Amino acid sequence: MKKSILLFGFIGGMFLFPFNANIFAQSGTDSTVIKLAQEVNSLKAGESHFLVVGLTTFGFVNSSTTTNGIKQKPSSTNTFDANHYEFSPMFLWRHGKNLLLEFEPSFDGNQIGVNWACASYFVTPGLIVRGGYFVLPFGMYNKRLAAGWIDKVATDPIGVADAPPASDWGVEAEGGLPLGSMKCSYDIAITTGYQMLHDKLQDGALQNPNGSGLTDNNNNKMVSGRFALLPFSNSSLEIGVSGIFGKVGDTNDSLYKDATTTMYAGDITYLADIRPFLLNIKGQYNVINVNKGTFPNPGDSTKTYSFSNTSTSYFGQISLRPVSLRNKIIRNFELAFRYANYITPKGSLWEQNSTQTSIGLDYWLSWRSIIKLTYETVNSNYASMGISGDKTKTNYVYLQYSVQF
Amino acid sequence: MKKINIKNLIVACLLFSIPVSTIISGCAASAKVAAKTGSQLWSENCRRCHNTPPATAFSADQWETIGLHMQSRALLTETEKNKIVQFLKGE
Repeated sequence: MKKSILLFGFIGGMFLFPFNANIFAQSGTDSTVIKLAQEVNSLKAGESHFLVVGLTTFGFVNSSTTTNGIKQKPSSTNTFDANHYEFSPMFLWRHGKNLLLEFEPSFDGNQIGVNWACASYFVTPGLIVRGGYFVLPFGMYNKRLAAGWIDKVATDPIGVADAPPASDWGVEAEGGLPLGSMKCSYDIAITTGYQMLHDKLQDGALQNPNGSGLTDNNNNKMVSGRFALLPFSNSSLEIGVSGIFGKVGDTNDSLYKDATTTMYAGDITYLADIRPFLLNIKGQYNVINVNKGTFPNPGDSTKTYSFSNTSTSYFGQISLRPVSLRNKIIRNFELAFRYANYITPKGSLWEQNSTQTSIGLDYWLSWRSIIKLTYETVNSNYASMGISGDKTKTNYVYLQYSVQF
Repeated sequence: MKKINIKNLIVACLLFSIPVSTIISGCAASAKVAAKTGSQLWSENCRRCHNTPPATAFSADQWETIGLHMQSRALLTETEKNKIVQFLKGE
């Protein structure tokens, strides 16, 4: 009886064993599959892609100023350059292949601001639509050249970078298109718009974003746009024309509610390989018109004073780098020269005619980090309602480091 | 200046989009331009504003994001952007 029970148990075990082995094998396979699935999931790109890049610029400046021919005291100042300091991380969030969110806060040495915060949707080849707070399509300096690691000299061209304001709230459509052997691009925006000031000191000037920020003071929106043509197949020449049109008067202001602005800009970029050098030429010319130039006389409010409310600014820049030389040290040097001019309306309370001459010797530590030694002279003639004021001449020596990270 | 009516603006935008999309879709590059490689386009376009970045500067996934950012900044054509990104990704 015992023997038959053992035999029965043995035979039963023979049947059961493969079944149990299957269970163990199945369980082992499952855990391997789960492990592999987890590994694959960890490597899967997903839809959301987050990237932080950005830039920082810092340096040292020595300056000396002469006012009406008399040297100001102290004869020269040496300081860390807070005016051109910048730390700007840029957050890029790409969702799938067509949606890009961009946010660039910036600490510029005096305050924390936002350069842009917008969402772009890449609709079709040649059409990108954007909404939010973005750089206006006016000229090319603010949108492409203002970053410290791109700019060849330590400062911005006077009157180009900050007049008119660079960013605004609204919607934008843009794109680059092939045209046979040529190429063109367009960029159109509808935004909140500027506001004309009439606070005596700046009568007729447009609100500057470095001050109180842009506020919408009327129901009309501003239209801005840039069209550019690249006539050569190697994209070495780009010629751009821009315009801004909009109401700048306050709806609630009976005197100035019809004030409008019309701005134009022309810009050029040209690159040439003159072996062993790379020649880089850039320029931009801005005209700002406001149709109101009559304001109460600050000395006698029963009278008025008038001026033609037109400001102009421009810059021209040439730089030369021996990129094709074999010597690694020499080919990383770059020589740059820039001339800029800014003229505000004659007869206004804020009349100014300034010229800025800058010569720079740069050294590229890598493709994205640069040390700049810039010598700059700024000559300014100030006036108020046609009466000549101070004439100043300031010499600067900048030693600056900038990096894109 | 007359107030802009939002309805009129939307209708104008829709009407404007028809010829614009026709023009955009009709634009084409010449055979010489179409034959350009990603490396050529990278060299010609990036340096218009800044030095040309090496492929090692960012990962393949990061180049996709930077490609969109630069397409919008420099207003590159779609083909240019795609070829430059492919070149930088090492494809």
